[in-house]
Amino acid sequence: MSCFEGQLAGWVAPAHPTTVSTTQTIAALVAEYSTALYRVAFSVTRNAAEAEDAVQEAFLRVLRHESRLGEIRDYRVWLVRIVWNIVLDKKRRAKTRPEGEDLADHARALPSSDRPADASVISSQEHARILALVDRLPKREREALLLSAVEELTTAEIAAALGTTESSIRSRIFRARRELALLLEKEGIAR
Amino acid sequence: MNGSKHTVTDPRIDPLIDASLRTVGSATPVPGLEGRILTRLASERVRLEAAPTRFPHLSLGPGRRLPVRALGVLTSCLLAFVIVAGTVSYSHKLHSSQVVAPPSLVLPAQGIGAASAVHPAAPASAPVPAGQGARGRSNHHSGRARIAPHARKAPGVAVPAPSSNNSQN
Repeated sequence: MSCFEGQLAGWVAPAHPTTVSTTQTIAALVAEYSTALYRVAFSVTRNAAEAEDAVQEAFLRVLRHESRLGEIRDYRVWLVRIVWNIVLDKKRRAKTRPEGEDLADHARALPSSDRPADASVISSQEHARILALVDRLPKREREALLLSAVEELTTAEIAAALGTTESSIRSRIFRARRELALLLEKEGIAR
Repeated sequence: MNGSKHTVTDPRIDPLIDASLRTVGSATPVPGLEGRILTRLASERVRLEAAPTRFPHLSLGPGRRLPVRALGVLTSCLLAFVIVAGTVSYSHKLHSSQVVAPPSLVLPAQGIGAASAVHPAAPASAPVPAGQGARGRSNHHSGRARIAPHARKAPGVAVPAPSSNNSQN
């Protein structure tokens, strides 16, 4: 039995028979979506600990509202929306960005083995500068651009999570990239 | 955005943006994220089950509780009804205690019809004698006081002689 299965068994055991199914459902959701949710949270917080806290908080909310699990049609969009609201709320309260950013998180975000090409294309400083410029984009464009960066999310899912249409998301991403490129060119790529 | 008229000429920019977004979108959590989440969920579930229900008598068994919100609304409605009913009842009671008997006409022995009737609340109809200094309300003077030309005055009191204009007026 793996460590994960052991924790799952320990979690399921004390539960009542009526809650076993929802417990298993939540465990399956954790297994399937935790990484994607972490990336969604990280795109806003850009801090590993804060992103993980947000994901845990999202699943705690799911646990508290487990009676509604049967009503959910698309778990991925639902969970993304929960995490998205959590991180935006935290950011609004704490105003930690971009002061909370540290290069260790960027180094962790740059997987050396998976994407060696990216690591050679962009340095940590350039990455930090580009993200700082992303923060200067208008809210709608910035949100669409950040969510589009998450690998697991399609345009339709981003549109559902932000409560708009796919075409709107596409145009927002286009505008965001164009504005970001102009800002980069105006301020110089490497400084 | 006002950058729609400008075009980006530097060919390095788009790859940089792509690379930066990819690094954000492919961030990997510290290993063991699922385990930590499950551990926290397990402790939260234990805490929820161990915590006493706020209204234990409302619990119908594990996982079955009365809808507390609906009960709250019901209680509020009931309270509002009691308040309104009490107010209306008190208002009726107060009104009934203040009602006096309707005035009745006392028909005189002589006379015909209601014109000669006497209201019981009417004051006595005996005439009130007027005082010595009393005068009718319509009998009043206005304007300057006038002194008769031949009136007798107290000695030593200077009295202006009546002018011819006054006499003409």
